[in-house]
Amino acid sequence: MATYSTNEFRSGLKLMIDGDPCAIVDNEVVKPGKGQAFNRIKIRNLKSGRVVERTYKSGESVEAADVMDTELQYLYNDGEQWHFMHPETFEQMAADETAVGDANLWLKEQDMCTVTLWNGNPLAVTPPNFVILSVTDTDPGLKGDTSGGGGKPATLETGAVVQVPLFVAIGEDLKIDTRTGKYVSRAKD
Amino acid sequence: MATLDSKDVASNIFTPTSKANFSRSKLKQWQPAASFEIIKLRAETLKQIRSFFEQNNVLEVDTPTLSAATVPDPFIESFQTRYIPLTQTMSSENYYLHSSPEFPMKRLLASGSGSIYQIAKVFRQGEAGRKHNPEFTLLEWYREGWDHHQLMQEVSRLLTEILSPHIQLAEPQLVTYDEVFQTVLGINPHTASQSDLLACVEKEGLSNVLEAHEHRDCFLDLLFSHVIEPSLGKFLEKTHSKPCLCFLYNYPASQASLAKTAVHNGQLVAERFEVFIDGMELGNGFHELNDASEQRARFKSDNQARQLMGKSKIPMDENFLEAVGALPECAGVAIGLERLLMIITQVGHINDVIAFPFERA
Repeated sequence: MATYSTNEFRSGLKLMIDGDPCAIVDNEVVKPGKGQAFNRIKIRNLKSGRVVERTYKSGESVEAADVMDTELQYLYNDGEQWHFMHPETFEQMAADETAVGDANLWLKEQDMCTVTLWNGNPLAVTPPNFVILSVTDTDPGLKGDTSGGGGKPATLETGAVVQVPLFVAIGEDLKIDTRTGKYVSRAKD
Repeated sequence: MATLDSKDVASNIFTPTSKANFSRSKLKQWQPAASFEIIKLRAETLKQIRSFFEQNNVLEVDTPTLSAATVPDPFIESFQTRYIPLTQTMSSENYYLHSSPEFPMKRLLASGSGSIYQIAKVFRQGEAGRKHNPEFTLLEWYREGWDHHQLMQEVSRLLTEILSPHIQLAEPQLVTYDEVFQTVLGINPHTASQSDLLACVEKEGLSNVLEAHEHRDCFLDLLFSHVIEPSLGKFLEKTHSKPCLCFLYNYPASQASLAKTAVHNGQLVAERFEVFIDGMELGNGFHELNDASEQRARFKSDNQARQLMGKSKIPMDENFLEAVGALPECAGVAIGLERLLMIITQVGHINDVIAFPFERA
């Protein structure tokens, strides 16, 4: 069993805490001039996404989590699972709803995604920062409006609903920032 | 001086006080981490300190960085190095880089120096982080004939003089270790039982950090550093807090270190103090112990604690122990200069006030 000592703690390090894989978000050394030192860490539970604080006596060791990020291509959803493929080995992998979470709003077939594996199984899916998705439904565009001053909701091919400028019409391809869920621009071919 | 109010207590050590107009990004590895504004402020501060002590007739001294002995404190690790004589490459002698200039300064006091101060670079293993650099600067001074209360007043005067041109300070606070534990946690740190401490740690969401049998001082350190310290040196004014100097004194006798112990209100306490500002420790002071046999006994128990922790035994500093027996009545304090600069400049990381911090050294 691999372990990390508190003196190896740094942001990004993956640890097993209460049976769940977690990533260190922040590590603070709490060391009085005289007295016991502690490492106070902020950790993100990679299953639930929740951020909590933990304290360890300096010098202690914590079990390492076998967590790694891989770049996989999204293939399709069979109604229950989302299927991904490694672009070079063609190895396929299926992720369930808990792993995919909100990423499902942005997953488009053929797109490359970051799939976080824990003990070899998908734990979380992160879509690319920007995706191009076409509009399947929105109110008719207002003629001559190119200011983008107003806005209206538009449904995209993945089912996601985003605020778009009034001039956007059904069938257009849009560039979306998946981190904010916001419209960026019309896609340029 | 005002007293501490439980409302002053907020515990989030993760919000650095970064109103930083000083912190810089995208620096190359060879470039200084601190801005030239801060490098100049450091020089100004050193000048102010020297002029303060000149006006107060305290002599500047210089003692060795490299010593044959070091502190046996189980929570301080000294850097070790070897001296190799030119003529013989086979044998060598062990030396330590000092973690504070305390021992040789007390040898000077015991020899009749009178009040003295020193600005020294000191070294501590493993201490790296937002508020720690393994090499840092201590301003350490001793006042002959004074006790810790007189010295706290002087620390307050000097720090106020240095800080007030840069930041707005509320009135200094003066509280005992006992009062602060009673106010914030509702326990008496001197008399609380092991199960009281366990219950308190659990209530504060800090269970599982320590094992139930661990030394009570470990529990006090945990509660102190996580729940109490973040609120010290913050004076709450309506909606926002103003920094202030907070002096904490009369520590548990078991944490006396090199301080005298005495009975106050029926409780044996260490005549030791620490000074905090804005949730950060700036310095530590003692009404200095001058009983050589008591000092030797404390060093022995420090070494025993070290062995239990699997750490190396530190040789007794016989020169120092002999001097302790001749030490005049005095009080001494050490202030971390980089921490002081962090407060002056309101930066969030110690690296912002050091030209070449550890990772660039």
